[in-house]
Amino acid sequence: MITVHGLCKSFTARDGETVEALRDVDLEVAENEFLTVLGPSGCGKTTLLRALAGLVPWDDGDILVDGEPVRGPGPERSMVFQNFALLPWATVLENVAFGLRLRGVARAERAERARSLLATVGLAGCEAKLPGELSGGMQQRVGIARALAVRPRVLLMDEPFGAVDEQTRRLLQEELLALWEEHRLTVVFITHSMEEAVLLGDRVALMSARPGRIAEIVPVGLERPRSRDISGLARSGEYAEITTYLWERLREMHAEHRRDGVAS
Amino acid sequence: MATLVSLAGGAALWELAGRTADTSSLPPLSQVLGRLAEMTREGTLVGSVGDSLVNLALGLAISLVAGLAVGTAMGRGRRTEAALGVYVHALLTAPSLVFAPVFFSLLGAGRASIVAVVVMYAVFVVIVNTASAVRTVPPHLVEMARSYGASERQVLVRVVLPAAAPLIMAGVRLGVGRAVTGMVNGEMFIAVVGLGRLVTEAGGRFDSAGVLAVLLIVIAVALGALALVQAVDRVVTRWTPTTWKDAR
Repeated sequence: MITVHGLCKSFTARDGETVEALRDVDLEVAENEFLTVLGPSGCGKTTLLRALAGLVPWDDGDILVDGEPVRGPGPERSMVFQNFALLPWATVLENVAFGLRLRGVARAERAERARSLLATVGLAGCEAKLPGELSGGMQQRVGIARALAVRPRVLLMDEPFGAVDEQTRRLLQEELLALWEEHRLTVVFITHSMEEAVLLGDRVALMSARPGRIAEIVPVGLERPRSRDISGLARSGEYAEITTYLWERLREMHAEHRRDGVAS
Repeated sequence: MATLVSLAGGAALWELAGRTADTSSLPPLSQVLGRLAEMTREGTLVGSVGDSLVNLALGLAISLVAGLAVGTAMGRGRRTEAALGVYVHALLTAPSLVFAPVFFSLLGAGRASIVAVVVMYAVFVVIVNTASAVRTVPPHLVEMARSYGASERQVLVRVVLPAAAPLIMAGVRLGVGRAVTGMVNGEMFIAVVGLGRLVTEAGGRFDSAGVLAVLLIVIAVALGALALVQAVDRVVTRWTPTTWKDAR
C-alpha cells in the first residue's frame, strides 16, 4: 500500500555542509502491516517518516500511497510525534478533536468521536484537563487518540515512546498493539530500540547512517496477537535470536562509521 | 494585598517628603488631592479626561490592529521581516515626538494628529513583540498542524496566534504604557486639549499641585488601561506555567 522508490534527500546543515539524509531508499509496506524502522541516531529515519507524511520535500524518487503519489499531507495518513506535539492551551478533548476541527467536522460529532477515543486509550474523565496536567504517557495516549480520530489508514509514528519511562513504554506498546489488532491499520513505526522494533513489528527495516539507506529488511516471525503478553514474547528464543542478529548488524555499522571517521 | 501595602507606603512617603521639603515644587500628597478635588468641582477635569480617553482609545485600537497584523506578517515571512524590519526598528528607537510637527502640518491641529502621535508611540513595540512571538512559536506544533492538513490560515488561527499570545500580550502591555505617554505628549505639543492642556496650563501658572494632580489622573488612566489588558491577558495565557518562586 505504501511504495517508496529511489528516495533521495540532502539538506544543508547550519554550518553550510551538505548532509545526505537519504540515498536511494526503497521500501514496500503492505496493507495493515506493522513495519518498524530501526537505525542509529542520525540515520535519516525521521526524515523518511516526515517525507511519508508529506511534510518535507525530497530531491529524487517517489512515494506512493495506494498508487497515488504523495505531494503533501493527506487525510489517509496521520502522525504521532515523539514530543507529543499537543497544544498546551487546549483541553485534552480539543486536542484529540484537533484534526477533525481542521476538517470541518461539526462540534457535536467531534466531541463524541474524541470522547470515545479517549475512553479507548483509557483517558475517560480527562477531557477537560490541559496537557500540562498529564504525565508523559498520558500525553502520548492523547497524541495517539488525536491521530486515530481522523480515521487514518496509515499511522506514522516517530519514536512515539522514546520520551516516556520504561514501564509506561511497555504499557503503551501493549495498548498500541491492541489498537492495531482491533483497528487494522498500516503502521510505520520509527524507533532506536531493537527490543521495541522486534516486539511490535511484522518486519524490521534496518537503516544505516550517512547516507541513510535501508540496509536490510528483517522479518519477525513472532506469533500474533502479541498484545496480551509482550513480556513473555521478550523471553522467547526467537525474540533473542532476532535481536542478537540486529545488534550484530548495528554493531557492524557503528564500526564501519568509526573506520570512515564519522562520529557515531 | 502586596500592591495595596506598596501603594500606602508610597503615599506616606510622598506626604512625608512633601512636608519636610517644604517647597512649592513638591507639594505633599494631601495638597495635591485637595487640588484634584477643586479641579473636579471646576468642571474642566471631567471633559478633559473624556477627550483624552477618546484619543487614547482610537490610537490604541489602531496600534493593536496594525501592530498585530504587521507583526504577524513579519513573524511568519522571512521576506516581510527583511523588508519591514529595518523601518520598524528605526521607528521603534526614534523619539516618537519628532513626528509631531509632521502630523501637525499633514493632519492639522485636531484629533487626527494626536491619535497619530499615540500610534507612533505604541505601534512599533507591539509589532516587534508580535513578530518575535510569532517567530518563536514551537516549530513542532506548526508541523503537527500541517500534518493534519491545516491551511496557512488554520495554522495561524489555531496554532501560531494562541501559542504566541503570552508574548504578544507582553508587547501590548508595553504598547499601552507608551500610548498613554503619547497621548499626553500629543495633547501638550499639538493641539492643546485634554489632560495635556490641563498640564500645560497648570505648569504655566507654576501650580505644582495642579501638575501633579493631572499626573495622578494620567497614571490612573494608564493603570486602568493596563488592568483591562491584564484581564484579557489572564484569559489568553491561563495555560502557561509560571515560575514564581513563592508559588505554592
